[in-house]
Amino acid sequence: MLEVSFAKPALPDSGALALLVGEDEPPSGLRAAADDATGGAISRALAAAQFKAKKNETVTILAPGAGLSRVVVVGVGKRAEAAGRAIEEAAGTAAASLAQEPSAVLDPGPVAPTLAAEAALGAVLRSWRFDRYRTRDKPEDKPKLARLTLSHDEPAKARSAWGPMKAVAEGVFFTREVVTEPPNVLTPAAFAERCQGLARLGLEVEVMGPKELKKLGFGAFLGVAQGSANEPRLVVLQWRGASGGESKAPKGKSKAKPDAGKPLAFIGKGITFDTGGVSLKPAQGMEDMKWDMAGAGAVAGLMAALAGRKAKVDAVGLLGLAENMPSGTAQRPGDVVTTASGQTVEVLNTDAEGRLVLADVLWYCQDRFDPRVMIDLATLTGAIVISLGHEHAGLFANDEELAQKLIAAGQATGELLWRMPLGEAYDKMLKSDIADMKNIGGRPGGSITAAQFLQRFVNGKAWAHLDIAGTAWATKDKPCVPKGATAFGVRLLDRLVADHYEGG
Amino acid sequence: MLSVRFRKRDSHPEAALARLLTAAEAAADPLARLIGFAGRADEVASGRDATGRLVVLAGLGAQAEASSVRAAAGRAAGLVLGEKRLVVQGGGLAAELAAEIAVGASLRAWRFDRLKTRPDPDGPPPRLKRLKVLTEAKRDAGAVWETLSAGVAGALFARDLVAEPSNRLTPTVFAARLRGLAEDGIEVEIRDRDWLARRGFGALLGVGRGSANPPCLAVLRWKGAIDRAPIALVGKGVTFDTGGVYLKPADKMWEMRADMAGAAACAGAMLALARRRSPCPAVAVLGLVENMIGAEAQRPSDVVRAVDGTTIEVIDTDAEGRLVLADCLAWTRIAHAPVAMIDVATLTGAIVVALGPHRAGLFATDAALAAHVAAAGEAVGEPVWPMPLDEAYGEALKSDIADIRNCVAARLQPDACHAAAFLKRFAGDTPFVHLDIAGVDLRAEDSDLGPAGATGFGARLLDRLVALRFEDQDG
Repeated sequence: MLEVSFAKPALPDSGALALLVGEDEPPSGLRAAADDATGGAISRALAAAQFKAKKNETVTILAPGAGLSRVVVVGVGKRAEAAGRAIEEAAGTAAASLAQEPSAVLDPGPVAPTLAAEAALGAVLRSWRFDRYRTRDKPEDKPKLARLTLSHDEPAKARSAWGPMKAVAEGVFFTREVVTEPPNVLTPAAFAERCQGLARLGLEVEVMGPKELKKLGFGAFLGVAQGSANEPRLVVLQWRGASGGESKAPKGKSKAKPDAGKPLAFIGKGITFDTGGVSLKPAQGMEDMKWDMAGAGAVAGLMAALAGRKAKVDAVGLLGLAENMPSGTAQRPGDVVTTASGQTVEVLNTDAEGRLVLADVLWYCQDRFDPRVMIDLATLTGAIVISLGHEHAGLFANDEELAQKLIAAGQATGELLWRMPLGEAYDKMLKSDIADMKNIGGRPGGSITAAQFLQRFVNGKAWAHLDIAGTAWATKDKPCVPKGATAFGVRLLDRLVADHYEGG
Repeated sequence: MLSVRFRKRDSHPEAALARLLTAAEAAADPLARLIGFAGRADEVASGRDATGRLVVLAGLGAQAEASSVRAAAGRAAGLVLGEKRLVVQGGGLAAELAAEIAVGASLRAWRFDRLKTRPDPDGPPPRLKRLKVLTEAKRDAGAVWETLSAGVAGALFARDLVAEPSNRLTPTVFAARLRGLAEDGIEVEIRDRDWLARRGFGALLGVGRGSANPPCLAVLRWKGAIDRAPIALVGKGVTFDTGGVYLKPADKMWEMRADMAGAAACAGAMLALARRRSPCPAVAVLGLVENMIGAEAQRPSDVVRAVDGTTIEVIDTDAEGRLVLADCLAWTRIAHAPVAMIDVATLTGAIVVALGPHRAGLFATDAALAAHVAAAGEAVGEPVWPMPLDEAYGEALKSDIADIRNCVAARLQPDACHAAAFLKRFAGDTPFVHLDIAGVDLRAEDSDLGPAGATGFGARLLDRLVALRFEDQDG
């Protein structure tokens, strides 16, 4: 992770400087100082480039004098409207332009200390790289930015605001790593093992294999896994930040509010590779299916974030990890499986496997934990990509209030959600001739029927389902998210918890 | 359309009799209990009673409300299509609900059989022609029905057009059928290809180039009584869509005869406004054109110029509806300066993937207008769902050589959102709603409110929208 420090404003005498600038903002602080020290070079460059300070508009000035190697100026739009998002994105944009500098000072301009920390977050999130498997990179091809100093009048306040944000960034990075790892490395067992490493943060980690899953009656989950030589795993991560700190004290001794002792539950689809099974996918683009575990990846990263920042909440994360392979032992289209809930499912398409895994995990989750709310994340359907593209994830919910909270948390973090419908008419599309339901409802409304399927396993609990098939992986850089694994959901859900479920 | 009467007493003891029961009423009803009829919202049962009379029970679910009464009446009518007359017991229902009985039964009893030349050997011929609703509030119910029947007439007019095969409904024939609306006081203008060429409708004309049937533009005007700019309804009327050079797969291509359902819905809505003498001034602009493959057909990569001067790179000749609408929207905005513009179109396969056969996609630039459209849809049983119209989707339509391209040529694209972003550009600053009805223009199976085939989706919704929002003198 990019090393971040906070200091009072001081013009560096070497290296790089980044300035975040609002529209129509007169020069002040380091911007004015740098302009003075360079004999007006900054102002001249901005005038020549017709810089308007629109959001993420960037001007780079090379060797302007005063010992500086490079000055990067990024717009934040109108300062009065520049909430955390705009500052974060501008800082992320600046970080990308600073990649060739070993160290830099970033001045976010006249902002509150928390926004200086948000700027750090933006820069850190953008600077993430995954180069474990690059063995021959030339040094000049590697980004060099290692240290960033945030300039602010109240560095101590900014630093303490950064603490929890850093924990969230670490959660995001955990997610991006597991999502990026190739499927021969990240099998269900290997993924579970990485989750065990999170125990160092105070998370309680439980891992179950095929034997336990069989005992729990996870017929749908095991049906998906049975074609692969790599065994499935169910990972349960528990964080008791409200009831028991890091100890294993029994939860909910005195219940002031009816829900106060109940945990929040997050459930993730973790298909470490999805060939489609016997209903084999076309070869083109199949490599993308390594990130069919991005839902589980996000849940693990979220739990790491909550534990890392010692969130005052009780939360559980459940990860259904399996590999969907075609083989002599694989399940067939037409098989009927019995889920943990007792409901039977006719598997008409082995490539609609995520919902089979989630069916058992959702049921188990509500049965064991009786959670206040359940939120699942899953790269569930291609249909959601055709519906909403990469701009929004699909949000399905049986609880109006929860849906509104999620939408707001999405807007605050830039992980945007769009509400999609549920309803009786769609549920009927799952009718099977020989079992309680079939696992596909056809191409029309494909994301909705998938959500209806899941809803049959939540037992009436307040529940939301995020279909992240269009947002888990990006083919283009965004200001705070380099292309590749986005960790969509980690910041969104961390924000949801922080805004609504802590200290209450 | 059914002949409908509201009466206090049943004077036709030989006719089929339907009773609509809530779950609570069914639990207290001796006959219902005896035959195990629970009054669920999707339930129906029928049989002869001791006198030999055909009796139908249809369930209302938890309570009698407009939607459940309409659906139950339709369900009952569906069981007695072979009878000449249906009597529905609406005794305890308020006048508004008693009138909905007639709506449901009329929608269900519609049929398109002018091309059937022999009786169906497998069943009784459909004969249902008369409906009698028994109600204490016969005068009030009749007055409500006066209003509601206009919307039903509009929907059935639209269905008649959508059901016609494309060899019998070319753009020219479609236009000729619309001329008949003059009888109801609608002013009808048909603009031919030369007129369109002179005005610069390059996008619409590009779509029509491959066909031997020339395109035209239908402009329907209802004056209303309020002195104000009109509300504008814009309809996609592709009388058949082969996809053009970007030919569609053969499977289910026949459904493309319904690719004019948006234009039909707008025409139906105009008929409804006229029938109930709406005070709201309205104009409908319908782009009627056939998209064929041919020596003159436009090619993927052609660039055309729309009526407002915008150049469009045609990436996919099968994304033709938005080209037709581009010209229609821009011209309507410029020529009629409407207070609001709503287009209805069977526009994308993507909306079918997104919302399936139960809801149309609603894209809007104006939140208040969108809320009224959604409310109107719920009220008449033509539900919609809001979809995003962000700038982000518009950015995908940048062209290398023109102002805009008509779609993104790659798999797994949110094409319904792209199409809406494309249309928005031509609507300018006019409050704008786009309804993508590609999933709801046809139904695969018989339902409570109609047989398999054309639904007329949109006509009743638009009629209700006008009533909800555009009939205040000051509004």
